[in-house]
Amino acid sequence: MARLGMVLDLERCVGCNGCTMACKAEHGTPKGVFFAKVLEKTTGKYPNVKKQFIPVLCNHCEDAPCERACPTGATHIRPDGIVLVDDDKCIGCRACYVACPYVNRAYLPKGILKEGYYGNGYLTPYEQVKYKEFTEGTVVKCTFCAHRVDQGLDPACVITCPTEARTFGDLDDPRSEVSALIRERSGFQLLPEANTKPCVYYLRG
Amino acid sequence: MAPAQTQRNAAKDDVWVPTVCYMCYNACNIRVHRVDGVVVKIEGNPESPHNGSRVCAKGHAAIMGLYNPYRVTKPLRRTNPEKGPGVDPGWVEISWEEALAAIADRLKSIRETDPRKLAVLSFDTQGFGTLGNVWTTAFGTPNVNPGSADYYCGNANHPISWSVDGTFFSEPDYHYAKYCILFGSQHGIPGFTKNPLGLAPRLADARQKGGLKLVVVDPYCNTAASKANEWVPIRPGTDAALALALANVLLNEEGIYDREFLARCTNAPYLIGDDGYYARDGEGHAQVWDQASGKAVPFHTEGARPALEGTFQVDGGRQARPAFALVKEHVQKYTPEKAEEITTVPAATIRRIAREFGRAASIGSTITLEGKVLPYRPAVADWSKGAIAHKHGMHTGWAIQLLDTIVGAVDVPGGHLGVSSKGPGWEPTEGPDGLLVPAQKIAMGGIPYPPKKPVRPNTAEVNELFPAASYAQPMLLDVLKDPEKYGLDYKVEMLINCRSNYMMTSVDPEAVAESFGKIPFIVSFALNIDETAELADIVLPDTHVLERLDALPNRIYGWILPGQGEWYWTVRQPVVDPPPGVRHWTEVMYHLAERIGMLEDLYFTFNANLKIGEPFRLKPGRVYSHEELVDAYFKSLFGSEHGVAWFKENFMLKEPRSIEEAYPRPFIKPRLPIYLEHFKRQGPQVQAVTAELGLEDWDVSDYQALPDWGPCESYSRRGEYDLIAIMAKQAFHTHSFTVDAAWLNELGDQYPDSKAVLINPATARRKGLADGDEVILRTPDGKEGRTRVRCFEGVHPEVVVIPGLHGHWARDRRKYIENPGLHFNSLLAYDLRKIDMASSAFDACVKVKVTKI
Repeated sequence: MARLGMVLDLERCVGCNGCTMACKAEHGTPKGVFFAKVLEKTTGKYPNVKKQFIPVLCNHCEDAPCERACPTGATHIRPDGIVLVDDDKCIGCRACYVACPYVNRAYLPKGILKEGYYGNGYLTPYEQVKYKEFTEGTVVKCTFCAHRVDQGLDPACVITCPTEARTFGDLDDPRSEVSALIRERSGFQLLPEANTKPCVYYLRG
Repeated sequence: MAPAQTQRNAAKDDVWVPTVCYMCYNACNIRVHRVDGVVVKIEGNPESPHNGSRVCAKGHAAIMGLYNPYRVTKPLRRTNPEKGPGVDPGWVEISWEEALAAIADRLKSIRETDPRKLAVLSFDTQGFGTLGNVWTTAFGTPNVNPGSADYYCGNANHPISWSVDGTFFSEPDYHYAKYCILFGSQHGIPGFTKNPLGLAPRLADARQKGGLKLVVVDPYCNTAASKANEWVPIRPGTDAALALALANVLLNEEGIYDREFLARCTNAPYLIGDDGYYARDGEGHAQVWDQASGKAVPFHTEGARPALEGTFQVDGGRQARPAFALVKEHVQKYTPEKAEEITTVPAATIRRIAREFGRAASIGSTITLEGKVLPYRPAVADWSKGAIAHKHGMHTGWAIQLLDTIVGAVDVPGGHLGVSSKGPGWEPTEGPDGLLVPAQKIAMGGIPYPPKKPVRPNTAEVNELFPAASYAQPMLLDVLKDPEKYGLDYKVEMLINCRSNYMMTSVDPEAVAESFGKIPFIVSFALNIDETAELADIVLPDTHVLERLDALPNRIYGWILPGQGEWYWTVRQPVVDPPPGVRHWTEVMYHLAERIGMLEDLYFTFNANLKIGEPFRLKPGRVYSHEELVDAYFKSLFGSEHGVAWFKENFMLKEPRSIEEAYPRPFIKPRLPIYLEHFKRQGPQVQAVTAELGLEDWDVSDYQALPDWGPCESYSRRGEYDLIAIMAKQAFHTHSFTVDAAWLNELGDQYPDSKAVLINPATARRKGLADGDEVILRTPDGKEGRTRVRCFEGVHPEVVVIPGLHGHWARDRRKYIENPGLHFNSLLAYDLRKIDMASSAFDACVKVKVTKI
């Protein structure tokens, strides 16, 4: 069985947020909820300065603290490594939210699915369709686009990336592009000290 | 079925429709997923050479613009006669019949008296740009203006690209470039300037694998600078001094220049007399000094070995020198030390960059592509708004172009490329004195060569007084106030406005409101009531990009990729129906033509302007639908099998691009100018016309044959107005309309530098300012704006940066924009002295005093 992972090349990323918006459009996340984000960090002093762009998403950890924290088994790891939340089982206790060292989960409070982006209780036709996929009072997060992966497609953030900074594939296959990139360019994971074994790797910019 | 085509799931309404994005002007090819009548996703079209599967933040967010609940869906009439920023127009809904009848009445009476009294402002380059110019021509008005772009729209890009490459746009060849200097440009960075999603992977590959050294010259460490090998901070409006110093080092210190290219492909060897004009022979030919025969011969003499330097006696004992010798001498005054004083870029840095650039150009080297041996010049200098939206912007553009010209990096692998100079069935031709004229097939308005003669104005932007420019949009505001001053014998009495928000994209909304206030009747086609539509007397609803049919949005003169690849022609087609009663504004304009009885003229002009061939020509005596017009255009271009139905189903027609088309310079004869003799000739001509009009103080000093640096008004700072305010783009916004897609507002609000003023921390400390402080920015002209401080190390210490075009005040927009931010253009007072008299660019920097509230 594959162990799916993603490699984010910080040298190529230009922080345009194509991924952020592709993710929002794919999932239709409510206001204030982002499964994908781009963080910015300034390094150096004038004039030797740079803005660094760090795209983040759920790390789909092999040793996932969110899964361990979940009292109902709602958060589970698929055989291919994708970490998902089953909203039928989620009781909204938010133990996973607290357990995630990467702060990559979001809680959908009561009423959020009735308040669209334009306020006054108006939901666009798009929001009306997309919000059916969500349940208030549950925790949500990046799914690695499991619904796309199951159709043999790459995640939405991967195909849209203007600089092709994102690569998706099987970490267990040494011949895969993700494995080669991690090997050749010393891919690293975020917060290794948390011992979560993330399946999202970064390449230095 | 190929992904480029419409993909259907027959079981229910579940379809992927291929079409073309319009969230900026770059025309990315997208496929839109519609399920049960609702748009649920937008993706890039993997079959497209333009952008593949890539879509930017704005493109995805188009869904939210489509479903914006504040869209206009019914015609509206103003009840409040008072107009101005923030004034409630008092809209009332009216029927289409009432609206169209009122508009048609006005149009009819204007057309009968003087059709020039109608102006149409639109930045709908991909829709109205094709069919609309036909409409205005048929109506009889010359006043069609891409108004939205107003004070800056390639003012000092397009005239130079047309003259040098024979195209509307030019771009760095990231396939082969090894060294690239971007002056106030972010070419290849998604969200910025031209064809970004096509160039983005090319630039990323070049940086990562191609050994490209990227140098970004800008007062602000923008995205391109953050990804560059080197950020060179520069004082705003001084890029020409830097470029000329780099040229000086190349020519006079390092001796690096492409002799063969200059002699064969430019007017560098043309002999120039003491008067600064070509030393012509008795038959009027420009001459070169032939070293083989030791005499002056016409420039086109076969086998001549032209000299680039020296002083020669031509007939009648006159002395003349090759243009190149004058260029070389001219740049000597820009020593790196002098340039350091002007630009703040250290002289040592200037020398090093010039050396690196010159060596990277590998003059004399060749590359073999598809069996053809081509010059290989992998060093390129590119520029955009940051460098040239300034006083003397035209000189800045030509100064930067000089770097590419010196090393021969023009339309060859690794250099600066016109996007479509030469294609199947077209190539540039030789104009007067053997200089380049763009191919007719891709030529649009505003071509500066053959040189235009300034004449008494007929247009409301008086572009007749700017013969070297592509247009003169910033003049419109002054002309509206006082047309007689410019010798116009009419006043604009009606304005039609669409996809153009002059109030925000021009400088100085108060000045715009005052000038537009002189127009008795304004019609705005609008998706949302924007800041300009608030000035209208009648508002008509327009269609969203996902509801539109437009022929060839990837216009071949601009919105396609340069270099190796393919040619491609596309269609923008409706994915969903517009709200009931709402039609594409071009369609409404054509309907109005019918109402005012100008349909026959319209069809005649359509056939003539778009060169429609038989049997597709429109016939008088019947009424064609918008779709039938697009169909005739397509079939005339591509044959009867490739009508609108074919394009709707198959989306894209492709053709291979040959090496000769990708890199035309070695395969074409016309020369490009390094010495702007015609430009110099235009100075006295403009002076004569303006003097005749009584415009005594018209400044023609920029009409020189060789570029110089000249200061912006912000250059001399004294006392409390000690900082220079500039604006910077944000990747997730374009123009002023992307705010209507609510996701993008939310996205911007995630970043602390959005809707703030960025200040270098050392400057902030000196002024006692800290992150988050509320401040007021004041200019010497009495303009002011409030915002908050964000300290950022990547700002030149003399500069403050305002990212994005924010500060929307339209009443509807304020219902969904919680934090509007500061409108940069409100800090720029409209003042003719700030207009570049050659290119018409308005100076986009201003002195400010920053005070804590």
